[in-house]
Amino acid sequence: MEIDRPDGRTRNQLRPLACSRNILNRAHGSARWSQGDTIVLAAVYGPKTGTRKNENPEKASIEVIWKPRTGQVGKAEKEYEMILKRTLQSICVLTINQNTTTTVILQVVNDDGSLLPCAINAACAALVDAGIPVRHLAVAICCAMAGSGSVILDPTKLEEQKMEAFSYLVFHNSVLSMLPEGSLHVDGEPMEHGIITSVTHGVISVDDYLYCLERGHAASAKISDFLRRSLQSHAPSDPSKAA
Amino acid sequence: MDGKPSNSPNSFIDQMVVPGDVVLDLSSMANQTIKLGGGLRQESDAISVMKAGKLKFSRPNKYWVESSQKRYVPCVEDTVLGIVVDSKAEVGSLLYVRVVKASAGMNPELSCTDASGKAAEFGLLKDGYMFETSTGLSRMLLSSPTCPVLEGLGKKLSFEIAVGLNGRVWVNAGSPSTVILVANAIMNSESLSNTKQKIMVEKLLQKFQ
Repeated sequence: MEIDRPDGRTRNQLRPLACSRNILNRAHGSARWSQGDTIVLAAVYGPKTGTRKNENPEKASIEVIWKPRTGQVGKAEKEYEMILKRTLQSICVLTINQNTTTTVILQVVNDDGSLLPCAINAACAALVDAGIPVRHLAVAICCAMAGSGSVILDPTKLEEQKMEAFSYLVFHNSVLSMLPEGSLHVDGEPMEHGIITSVTHGVISVDDYLYCLERGHAASAKISDFLRRSLQSHAPSDPSKAA
Repeated sequence: MDGKPSNSPNSFIDQMVVPGDVVLDLSSMANQTIKLGGGLRQESDAISVMKAGKLKFSRPNKYWVESSQKRYVPCVEDTVLGIVVDSKAEVGSLLYVRVVKASAGMNPELSCTDASGKAAEFGLLKDGYMFETSTGLSRMLLSSPTCPVLEGLGKKLSFEIAVGLNGRVWVNAGSPSTVILVANAIMNSESLSNTKQKIMVEKLLQKFQ
């Protein structure tokens, strides 16, 4: 059953992606990531010496500050900060730059659905722009259950509000590799099949969730390609776009 | 997207790589010593990339990733441009110095003489104009043979220039218009290839001379 999406996309079609890096003068790294009308600006400062009281001084620590478009910072923003912090900590190499703090600040410019994945992608691009050592990149996508087992990708805000459930999924980027098997393996499975973060809203059955993971993983390859092209362009201040 | 079946590293050298790419498979290179420079890390039998940039190789066995950042990490024997903030010397003056000691967490130790103790152009820089760029552009300006931007500008204009590896460049010339011309030409050349740089410099000089 084909679902008619208000903007005419098919179920698996993503909105146009755009990424510009090195846009802020004072930040050590910055990136602006947009998926359709959802736009997030990320800035990275650091590494700066010293860690906070609760952090382990034998590792580098990451601090995330989320700034909403309007209004004061509340519980939802704190939750986003925590999710981002854990995701970024898993991709950064924390043993280099011990006893330092890297600050990542996210500013929501516009929210039209799929906000957290857009923020994760922006933060990742900003970390690369700042030269923070990372093990691999994180690629995030939002999958929504449209009812009767069908999944739509990258929903807009209106679509998100109508859905029974949606989940934000973060995967590894797809890598080029010299190894004969193609990429590093953990327990016999390629690293790229692993999932870094998953946040789910609403009620979803196990089978539906596994189907979401499959669709999300397929789409993450496209976002990964786009990220690779935009990181490889020689002019970091020129925006790169993909439909 | 999977790697090629051959294990020679030639397929990635001088290519742009992205964090996570596995560039060397050590299991096929037994009994060899490899030196890893910045941007690479070892994960059991594979060497993978940590920073986005171009993979470089220098004989016989050095690999590194060349990337360009805004932030500079002090390295011994680098020449940098610094502004005095302490009260012992004249505050606000620009100095061209060499890094003597650098370690994580501590302020680097700088010297106004070269390794043998001679002054050799280090020290105070008077007049002129200083601007900031990325570390990658500084390295390009200092590369040999001379980069096309400086060569092209040097043929028609006369100016002095000091490049710090910390991303700062100082330009001095007879007239302010020359200084501005040189500074803008350098800032615009960051992302251009050699031929494009030559064309850009020619066009710029044609307009103003």
